[in-house]
Amino acid sequence: MSTTKEKQIKKSEDIDWIEVNKKIDKYISELESESDALIEVLHKVQSLLGYIPKRTQKRIAKELELAPGKISSVMSFYSHFSAKPKGKYQIAICKGTACYVKGSVDIIEKVEEVYDLNSGDTTDDGIFSLEVVRCLGACGLAPVMTVNGKAHGLLNPDKAVKILEKYKNGEM
Amino acid sequence: MDLKSKLDSIKEEYWSSQKENEEIVISVGMGTCGIAAGAEEVWETINNEIKNRNLKNIRLEKTGCIGLCAREPLIEIRDDEKSIFYGDLNQERVSEIIFQHIIQDNIISKWTINADNDFFKDQERIVLKNCGKIDPESIEEAIVNEAYQGIAKILLNEMESSEVINLIKEANLRGRGGAGFPTGLKWKFAYENNAEQKYLICNADEGDPGAFMDRSILEGDPHRLIEGMIIAGYAIEASKGFIYCRAEYPLALKRLEKAIKDAEEIGILGEDIFSSGFDFELNIRLGAGAFVCGEETSLISSVEGERGEPKPKPPYPAESGLWKKPTIINNVETLANVPEIVRNGSDWFQSFGTDKSPGTKVFALAGKIKNNGLVEVPMGTKIGEVIFDIGGGLENGNKFKAAQTGGPSGGCIPIEHLNVSIDYESLQELGTIMGSGGMIIMDDQTCMVDLAKYFIDFCKDESCGQCTPCRIGTTRMLEILEKITNGKGSLEDIELLKEMGEVIKDSAFCGLGQTAANPVLSTIRYFENEYKEHIKNDYCESSVCAALFNSPCQNSCPANVDVPMYIDLVRQGKYKEAYKVVQEENPLVLICGRVCYNLCENSCNRNSIDEALAIRELKRFVSDHLLEEEGAFPVPEIAEEKEKEVAIVGSGPSGLTAAFYLRKKGYKVTVFEAESEVGGMLATAIPEYRLPKKLLNEEISVLTTMGIQFIVNTKVGKDISLKELKNRGYWAVYMAVGAQKDRSLSLEGDDELPHVYSALELLRDINLGKNVDMEGKKVAIIGGGNAAIDIARNLVRLNADEVNIVYRRTEKDMPAHKEEIEEAKYEQVKMHFQVNPVKVINVKNKIKGLECVNIKGGEFDNSGRRKPKEVENSNFVLNVDTVVSAIGQKVNNEFNSDNLKLEMNDKSLISVDDDHSTNIPWVFAGGDCVTGPSTVVESIQQGKKSARSIDKYLGGDGVIISKNKREREITSEVLQEEKGRVKMPTILLSERKKGFVEVEKGYAEDQAVEEAERCLRCDVEDK
Repeated sequence: MSTTKEKQIKKSEDIDWIEVNKKIDKYISELESESDALIEVLHKVQSLLGYIPKRTQKRIAKELELAPGKISSVMSFYSHFSAKPKGKYQIAICKGTACYVKGSVDIIEKVEEVYDLNSGDTTDDGIFSLEVVRCLGACGLAPVMTVNGKAHGLLNPDKAVKILEKYKNGEM
Repeated sequence: MDLKSKLDSIKEEYWSSQKENEEIVISVGMGTCGIAAGAEEVWETINNEIKNRNLKNIRLEKTGCIGLCAREPLIEIRDDEKSIFYGDLNQERVSEIIFQHIIQDNIISKWTINADNDFFKDQERIVLKNCGKIDPESIEEAIVNEAYQGIAKILLNEMESSEVINLIKEANLRGRGGAGFPTGLKWKFAYENNAEQKYLICNADEGDPGAFMDRSILEGDPHRLIEGMIIAGYAIEASKGFIYCRAEYPLALKRLEKAIKDAEEIGILGEDIFSSGFDFELNIRLGAGAFVCGEETSLISSVEGERGEPKPKPPYPAESGLWKKPTIINNVETLANVPEIVRNGSDWFQSFGTDKSPGTKVFALAGKIKNNGLVEVPMGTKIGEVIFDIGGGLENGNKFKAAQTGGPSGGCIPIEHLNVSIDYESLQELGTIMGSGGMIIMDDQTCMVDLAKYFIDFCKDESCGQCTPCRIGTTRMLEILEKITNGKGSLEDIELLKEMGEVIKDSAFCGLGQTAANPVLSTIRYFENEYKEHIKNDYCESSVCAALFNSPCQNSCPANVDVPMYIDLVRQGKYKEAYKVVQEENPLVLICGRVCYNLCENSCNRNSIDEALAIRELKRFVSDHLLEEEGAFPVPEIAEEKEKEVAIVGSGPSGLTAAFYLRKKGYKVTVFEAESEVGGMLATAIPEYRLPKKLLNEEISVLTTMGIQFIVNTKVGKDISLKELKNRGYWAVYMAVGAQKDRSLSLEGDDELPHVYSALELLRDINLGKNVDMEGKKVAIIGGGNAAIDIARNLVRLNADEVNIVYRRTEKDMPAHKEEIEEAKYEQVKMHFQVNPVKVINVKNKIKGLECVNIKGGEFDNSGRRKPKEVENSNFVLNVDTVVSAIGQKVNNEFNSDNLKLEMNDKSLISVDDDHSTNIPWVFAGGDCVTGPSTVVESIQQGKKSARSIDKYLGGDGVIISKNKREREITSEVLQEEKGRVKMPTILLSERKKGFVEVEKGYAEDQAVEEAERCLRCDVEDK
């Protein structure tokens, strides 16, 4: 789950693995039951790192006594989990029905074009990553996008880019 | 202590802790929508104002979704006497409200939302009762508002589990997740399965795109859900419950976590609840973005930490579910109904809704609707009432096309079914489902083929891949739909889609797959014609399927004018070239520059930035400028002269257009006109102040220069017969006689009166300069079309004392064009809506008044408008001395005078084939005499189509416009920033009253260029 707090991009080399592993181990050891815990653990790690690196997947497998393939099997099933690092600002543009009929595709195309960014990817400078999501449930303000969990509504392509520029320039 | 006493003591404590001097409560709507619109900033500002101004008597609260998302951020200010809602707020506005409303005691009415308005008035709130009223993060406030009284009652009365189940069965509560399975029955199955451990799961993985009811309940009143779950757990004897909630709802999760913790602290959750022996533990499980997890067996797999793949049923979860134990899964809204039923009884619940579907249903109203938001209505409410009364109709007054319910598993409800009652069975009959409550409203800018593609794409992405029908079937269907939207489909594709849809329905493994084809089947059921238009004519009427057109404006222009191209030429100052670009597709450039109702502007992409480009105004500028600079318009080249002659009957826009293109092809063309002047309705009906006769003739002179003959004062059927035309050597005849005859009013007393005018006759007399004396008259014009408005505005110029328009429906329903209605209002024409005339009061052969009756809207008709219903005993007399009937026109069929007769259809219009041919091989027909009254540009379209067919009939290739592909490139930077359109200058009311001078003055050159610069050049692919 993303928070409104600014997230620092965490490339593998920037992560304090000892600290992170300690946290994960502690979380797992405190679980009531391990049999159903995989998805909960994945949520925990993703909220900690912004993504779930391969090496952490292996660690989780070991701790929960699961085959490593099981982790990627479950992860690949759910669109929420990512094995790739995310940008400093995670953009989610809604493509739910209400947003769709109100022109969210134009916004997606514009953002992709301006930042040379495809859905699921991160910009080379690590500032933005983009996700096209199915419904953020803020249909009353369609079209909507969220940036690090903060929702911005009633957009058009131009407005969306203006908001993203504000993030980029640290004005938001 | 028992639970009841505990709740009472919490209530008491709450009331005693309320500070005596807190007289005013301000609550800020802080659901996700509110926060996205800026509610946090609003809250912060109010908080600062309270501190800075040192206000003592105010309590500032956060609450959940108030419901009217379209007006967020919203606040409610209430004291003992009144409650006022303010909407569309920002920081400046709330500061002003604090000062005016709180300190000065002045309500700022321009920002208030009338709580009695239709949005709130027609709702019935059971589930949403506390939503937007209480602080969702305070268990005390929930308890003060009766939370946990239901479970308290059960514990106090030591009710048996079976008694609780019977209560829910008697209430006939049905699953609000969409399928409508009786909840009590479902509980009974789990209850009857003996097991040491049973589970209850709440499905809060609201995966339908376009649905946000559950989120609002979780964010606005989480204790209602928790209580519902405790009661359900008690009924099925489950000691553990899970709320499976989507991770995309961070705020809902936060509030839910707090609510669970608070409930545990009080002891409502946990072991041996208030010494009852009943344990109930509640945990949250996060969804992770898989739509299929809405299916109960998938959801169970996901709670177990596995891939959310569905499993075969039976065994049903009630028998073997989570970890193979009996499990019940209910949706949020279903469970949220339970506490109210326990508190108030099943009879009370049954008093809402219909017999088979009692209670209410919550809908998330979104899409192209004015009052976007969260609404709760009794079952059985008409869908049209939800859209037009509660929802306020469509955004920007656009035309309703369809409502979509049930998300990717559902279907659509078209305009002709607005009377359908909202209940499980009725919706199913229409090929859709109730669904969880997402209701997306669509207007004529939504392409139904594209929508079907959207949903199939969704299902293809969300298919878990386990079974072939769903995995491969949805992929294949998507490919076919892509083919169609790219203009490469064939008619067989429609049949194939239907067949595949049925096969997937029958053979897919789980609910997702079985319903995946529904949106496709439903759009084909109601909008097959739209599919066919894509396939046969490469035409997407909503201007959505981009592969089928250059630009949306050109696509929506019935005459197919290459708008961005001529706008660009205006920007470059090449006005003559611009005229030629328009003329190529539409020979009536000056005329359309003045009277066209610019359908192009509705689809202009600039609408999403600021407002549409002033396309018509620019067209007018081009022709005015040419006339001024060069004194004439360019005349097109004529192809090699042909021997064959064509007669055109009628010189209205359709006749002129056909004449233009046929002459261009080299035919000898003669136009017969019954009146003394050329132009048809352009000359006899469109008022001088909109289209000056002199200018009309300037454009007609292009046609005479081309060599077209005009013979006036010659009526076919009276002065010359069809047969005679043939005998005179015309190879083909084009009938474009229009719809020139007024429908009669048949009111009591109207036939014997000379003073009841008919609209077209009156317009003709005024336009042809006859002496029409209206000075000082008090006039009532009956009707709501363009003719009514034209008459009204003419009479203002003829110095009538009072001009009234009497129309039986609402203003929104008027067929007249919006701009014209606004101008008429500016000219002080009085409009009487929802009023019907019943009798012309005749005293000694003079009109002494018009007796009218009030109308209220009844059921919806096929056009989506309400049928007028007279209100009993509401008769009144409108004090007038002149009455004009303008209730529509029909075709004058005098042309069928001899034994050679044109076939007419049941609407009394000339019957034609797709190619405009009639029952007589050498006679073609088009325009109003075929379509009924329409617009100038639609008549032009008919004239073009007919010219093609006539050319083919006479041995030509049917190509009337050579298709030279134009180079499309950007000639100067595209202006993307907000910038409103250049306003068309008009003359003042005082000048209008003096006579028939043109109202619009036209752009100056610099204004035209400035406006042209706003074009986004949607036609250029690589910008």
